[in-house]
Amino acid sequence: MEIKKAAVAGTMESSDVYVEIQPADGVTVEIQSVVAQQFGEDIDRVVREVLSDHGVTGAKVSLNDKGAVECVIRARVETAIRRGEGGDAQ
Amino acid sequence: MQGDYLQQIEERPLTGVGLRRLEAFLQRQGLRYDSGVEYTVLYYDSQGNIAATGSLQKNVLKCIAVAEECRGEGLTASVVSTLRAAAFSRGQQHLFLFTKPQNQAMFQDFGFYPVSSTQDMLLMENKKGGIDAFVASLEKGRGEQAAIVANCNPFTLGHRYLVETAAARCDTLHLFVLSEDASLFPSRVRMELVRRGVADLANVIVHPTSDYLISAATFPTYFLKSDQIERGAGGALDLAVFGQHFAPALGITRRFVGQEPFSPITALYNRQMQEILPRYGVEVVEIPRRQIGGQAVSASRVRALLAQGQMEEVKALVPPTTWDFLQTEEGQAIARRAGERP
Repeated sequence: MEIKKAAVAGTMESSDVYVEIQPADGVTVEIQSVVAQQFGEDIDRVVREVLSDHGVTGAKVSLNDKGAVECVIRARVETAIRRGEGGDAQ
Repeated sequence: MQGDYLQQIEERPLTGVGLRRLEAFLQRQGLRYDSGVEYTVLYYDSQGNIAATGSLQKNVLKCIAVAEECRGEGLTASVVSTLRAAAFSRGQQHLFLFTKPQNQAMFQDFGFYPVSSTQDMLLMENKKGGIDAFVASLEKGRGEQAAIVANCNPFTLGHRYLVETAAARCDTLHLFVLSEDASLFPSRVRMELVRRGVADLANVIVHPTSDYLISAATFPTYFLKSDQIERGAGGALDLAVFGQHFAPALGITRRFVGQEPFSPITALYNRQMQEILPRYGVEVVEIPRRQIGGQAVSASRVRALLAQGQMEEVKALVPPTTWDFLQTEEGQAIARRAGERP
């Protein structure tokens, strides 16, 4: 899947994660998280997994995480990808 | 979203009762509603009172407030999330936020980083180190360095005179042309006319300002008509950005400015400049306006003449490079638009 436009998903409310995705060359992941010290690497791995599952090879993804659990992170990143490739608007 | 609160989105400036209620609410928080706001989100409690709000103007988040009795419930997060998503969906990715300096830590949690602050105002952006990366990317000069910041809407003989005078008094002159697209001449055109108009001056470097100088973010009231200006204009934050970031990065020790006989907002800005920039080691030098036909040359005079179709008078006030552009199809389209503007 190709990211064609900038898109967002999620919120910055507690236990959620706010995801912004933009077209880019290669994959970069920026994480700001209240639990970065303990789980920063895990979050990075999860995001890259979701990107690769969707065949995204060019994207800049920024996350502002408020302690979301893994399934929430996966869901928010996936939604951002779908919005960014121009499909599902909601 | 917060379950106990009702969310309302307004995609245009508020009016009537809604506006008065919001203004009263903001006033209790020590804030004002800006007339340039394009998007507002409100949360109401079960009694129908405003619990929280925030607004968006272009790429700037402002007027963010939460009622005293509703704090600690995460409403700010809802407001900021909503505004960020709205800005993003409008194609704005470089976002700014105005707040009070004591709120820095809270907004840092929402992904905003400080740009500059004054005693009572803080400007933040959603790019870490964005301002530093921008000033670092600017072409450097040498020796004694000075700066001019101008809109050049369009580039006139008045600008030419100011630039020539300033360039003769320093080793490198950094000429910043506003990137904000809020003027009759689009920023791309203004920039190009300046480049052509100063091409023969070897020690002048022309720069864009991005969102960092006299933009909707740093100085929102600059682009309002003078009769729309409420309670003084806020150039202080803009000058702090210049003094704290641009001047040290480029080694600028003087800022040249044209005397302002017409626009009250620019005159006030010049006065603020005299007061604030010396604190950052920047001397402010005012240059008298060039007179042609017994009147000071100004871009606003050129635009007024364009609007009236008095092309011969225009020709006397602009350099050949600007005049040539006005003969092109694009230039004539802009001149026609001048006539249509109020």
